[in-house]
Amino acid sequence: MKRKETSQLRAFWNEFRRVRFGIVGLVLFAVFVLIVAFEPLLMPYRDANERWRDMTYWLDSPRNALPVWVNWFSAKDYAVAEKLEATSVTESQVGTLRMMTMEFDYDFDYERPPTDFQLVMTLTGNASLQMEVIRPDGESLNYQRSTSSSGTRELRISIAQNLQDKVFRLASPFADPDVIASENPETIDAVATMFAVAGPSMLRNTSPLQGTYTCRLTVALTGEDSQLDSAHVIIAGGVAGWMGTDASKRDIWSGLIAGTKWALLIGLLTSFVSVAVGVVYGVVAGYFGGWIDSAMNRVFEIFLSMPLLPILIVMSAVFKPSIWTMIIMMCLFFWVGPVKTVRSMALQIKENTYIEAAKALGASHRRIVFKHLLPQLVPYAFATMALSVPSAIVYEASISLIGLGDATVVTWGQILQDAYASGAVLQGTWWWVVPPGIAIALMGMTFAFIGFAMDTILNPKLRTR
Amino acid sequence: MSEPILRVENLKKWFPVKRSIRQVLSGQRTEVKAVDGVSFDVQKGEIFGLVGESGCGKTTTGKLIMKLLDSTDGKMYMEGEDVTEISGDALAAHRRKVQMIFQDPYASMNPRFKILDVLMEPLVIHKVGETREEQETWAMKALEEVKLTPPDEFLARHPHMLSGGQRQRAATARTLMLSPSIIVADEPVSMIDLSTRAEILHMMRQVQRELGLTYVYITHDLSTARYFTDRIAVMYLGRIVEMGVAGDVIDNTLHPYSKALIEAVCEPVSGKVNRIKEVPIKGEIPAATNIPPGCRFHPRCVYAVPECSEQAEPELFDAGNGHMVACRRYQEILEKGDAAKTSEAEF
Amino acid sequence: MDNILEVKDLELHYFTQKGVVKAVDRLSFHLKKGETLGVVGESGCGKTTMATALLKMPTPPGRIVGGQILLDGDDIMPLSENEIRRRVRWERISMVFQGAMNCLTPVYTIEKQMRETLQQHRQMDKAETAERMLKYLNLVGLSEDVLKRYPHELSGGMKQRVVIATGLFLEPKVVICDEPTTALDVVVQAEIINLLKSLKEELGLSFIFITHDLSIEAEVSDRIMVMYAGRAVEIGTNEQIYGPQGSAHPYTQRLLGATPRLHEEVEELSFIPGTPPDLLDPPSGCRFHPRCPVVMERCPHDDVWVREIEPEHMVACWRC
Repeated sequence: MKRKETSQLRAFWNEFRRVRFGIVGLVLFAVFVLIVAFEPLLMPYRDANERWRDMTYWLDSPRNALPVWVNWFSAKDYAVAEKLEATSVTESQVGTLRMMTMEFDYDFDYERPPTDFQLVMTLTGNASLQMEVIRPDGESLNYQRSTSSSGTRELRISIAQNLQDKVFRLASPFADPDVIASENPETIDAVATMFAVAGPSMLRNTSPLQGTYTCRLTVALTGEDSQLDSAHVIIAGGVAGWMGTDASKRDIWSGLIAGTKWALLIGLLTSFVSVAVGVVYGVVAGYFGGWIDSAMNRVFEIFLSMPLLPILIVMSAVFKPSIWTMIIMMCLFFWVGPVKTVRSMALQIKENTYIEAAKALGASHRRIVFKHLLPQLVPYAFATMALSVPSAIVYEASISLIGLGDATVVTWGQILQDAYASGAVLQGTWWWVVPPGIAIALMGMTFAFIGFAMDTILNPKLRTR
Repeated sequence: MSEPILRVENLKKWFPVKRSIRQVLSGQRTEVKAVDGVSFDVQKGEIFGLVGESGCGKTTTGKLIMKLLDSTDGKMYMEGEDVTEISGDALAAHRRKVQMIFQDPYASMNPRFKILDVLMEPLVIHKVGETREEQETWAMKALEEVKLTPPDEFLARHPHMLSGGQRQRAATARTLMLSPSIIVADEPVSMIDLSTRAEILHMMRQVQRELGLTYVYITHDLSTARYFTDRIAVMYLGRIVEMGVAGDVIDNTLHPYSKALIEAVCEPVSGKVNRIKEVPIKGEIPAATNIPPGCRFHPRCVYAVPECSEQAEPELFDAGNGHMVACRRYQEILEKGDAAKTSEAEF
Repeated sequence: MDNILEVKDLELHYFTQKGVVKAVDRLSFHLKKGETLGVVGESGCGKTTMATALLKMPTPPGRIVGGQILLDGDDIMPLSENEIRRRVRWERISMVFQGAMNCLTPVYTIEKQMRETLQQHRQMDKAETAERMLKYLNLVGLSEDVLKRYPHELSGGMKQRVVIATGLFLEPKVVICDEPTTALDVVVQAEIINLLKSLKEELGLSFIFITHDLSIEAEVSDRIMVMYAGRAVEIGTNEQIYGPQGSAHPYTQRLLGATPRLHEEVEELSFIPGTPPDLLDPPSGCRFHPRCPVVMERCPHDDVWVREIEPEHMVACWRC
């Protein structure tokens, strides 16, 4: 028996190779599988799936940053998001005070300033600190603060949010007086000004001041257990990540990678189960005929006429929306797809003389259905499976778009939903909307191509030979 | 005369036809009376032919014998036992005893199966054979029996890799797997080339002799029936009109319908080219839903008299030497010949 | 006597993916005016292919690669497809295809289908077409009301008559019939054969009658051509083939021996072991030699073509 199967497979493969669609589809499919396999390596944010809705995970990212490769095409480069480590660390002891000084150098040679400049540190105990940001032209920003607490906590000082006053004051001597009069610290773009050339346009229509900016952090620690555990400078760039970030600072690339496995899961599982059920259903109805066929047809018609989307909405409202519930619901409705065609095919096949011969030998119904009928339908089943994968994925995306998706995972549909809810289109954050759409389309294409190729080979009526 | 291996008594098969509402309400029933009262005996070891044109009911009779169809009326006895209404184990036992060779050797085997699978199927269904090796050995023996050698080479092939004749041999081998008593052959050589036909028939006869089988041979070809069968029954519109030893029925035909058939058959002899054939028959075959009253052949019979439609349908009676005929006027026709004709042939 | 059709060295090859199949190989024969030439052979011998060649419509991937077809003296080989369609096919030579009765379109009435064919060829007004169709329907023994019927309402015999009428109503001189009676019952078959014979007389037609059934050929054909593996192996009159002294070619003899007789007790029908050859790679020399019961030394080596052994009788065999 094995020989027959392998030689059948080989013949099938030879034919498949010739259809160009199929190869493209297979290659794309391999790419998707590789993505899922190498997920941890590909995602800069490894826990993107679990922590998609956890704001704290994404703090270090810029908000609404464009993808990094935009810089390759734009005349005016955006500042790239960076996390800077200290270039020098010094410690000294002055009496009971422990002093730590950390210096960070930031080379700003872009045309557009970052969206934020943050100093993030983890402290334990009591500390007074001073933060200095020294511009290439010598001007500097100064900020001081004390903090005391027993535990370890993170402290984040952001130019955009905390140092607007200081920046305003820094710019006042240089900027256009009219502008100064009409603006106030809340209305200016503090970071842009910070990185702008000192001059009349420092507050508005800024031009970038390129060069090395040094940030010096001096911390005076009092008490035995006080510690400066770590400190970084976070440059919230204009561009960040392979696909940019969204309004909640989430790395879209990681989101897409994380969503790949769900897309594959939903697509493959739904299509496999629903087609398997549908094919067996159609065969049984077609083979037995009579009242069994009529009864099965009525049940089928009921399912067919039920609208899936409203029911999914109701189910999602009643039950906690989970990806598994959705998959089950989709299977419950997608199975009707192949039934009519399979039933017709079964009706035709059962008229063949070899079916009669099997009956004459005394073959049971089960044997005839499983040994004689179903094997003939396997090719059609495969083709249908391949072609129903995109439907399943798009359905899930639609559900998520309405807001009824599973909140514990990230799927492409959900990324789209967030984009829509945040008005991404209005804001012009195209990198939030387009990539997930393309991903869905690509996966749909993959299976459509595979399905078409299989259909061309296996459907005898489509054969040109 | 010993007990016949197969006896059929007044067997009927009527197929219901869909009725309109009006017909249902008026209580009208329309049925296709495919087999309408057929009785015959088949002796063990003989080749019994069922002959007739399309629609005469010969294939349906074959299916009734196979129990692929349930009879509407009548009785059937197999090796003395009443098998008219059996089910379960008894039915399975019957199926082992009666096997069929189909007309289309290609269509009668699943194209995806290897010949081995085709031959093994009866064994698998009836759970015969202890081990797979045993079953495979039987399959090879069956192929040798039908002269499809070397057997292991053919076992591995698919049906489309065999010629028509080879396929029919494989189909015959399939019937032998369960050691049957009767084989029903439905036009087994009509789709095979002429030069191979005799070979297949020769093989079938050899198999019959070696294994002591009985055949029911269904065909429309009178010449082949004469060559191959021992006794034949000529069927018309669901009934047997004449039955007897093949040579006798064909050379000394008694029934008007059989006469017409015999006249119509072409023969490979010279001298007939310029003649317009005269076939003593009128009109066309009526629909099986509308059987003529009395003798069902009377509208087409050139010897018909008013009694033929008024009186009850004639049964088969013995005209001597086991030659049965279902015609009341047969003696008259035999004696008077053309003078007994009451109308002209028009066909 | 005039030859209404002469075929010389006809060659038709199928150019398949696996190679070239020489389906018709240097076939030569003639058809006399007013006679029926029977072409007999088993499956794969090339008889239907030859018929398509005579109408210059080989089934793809087939192509006529050589030979002459002289229809009433005119060689139709060099004619273009357009000319053939307008002036030769159906006008001078027509065909009743195998299984044609099953090819009548089920959704159109007989009238519409017949009219369509007629109007493709002739500019006739409605009255003329009606008259013509009626004339030929009557000739084949059908009444006017057949025109309004659909194919499924007619019996097999009636459908075959319709097809025959369609093949005749443009009044060709030569009609090719390919297995016209195969799917019909014995009685209907006899009717159709009688019909063809009477039409031949009435309309002065010449027929080519193709079948695999030797018995039918005997009752229908004046002369018979036996084909095997794309070649003619014997051509002779009805008497020469079927008469008491027997035919000449071993293949014909065996075929006749394999045909059962209605009124004779035949002890053992003869058969020919093996199968017809694969024409992708046919046997060398005489194509029948691997199966021939009286094969000689030279048969596998030398190609053999039909030669006259007595007047009107041609055989392709080294023994004769």
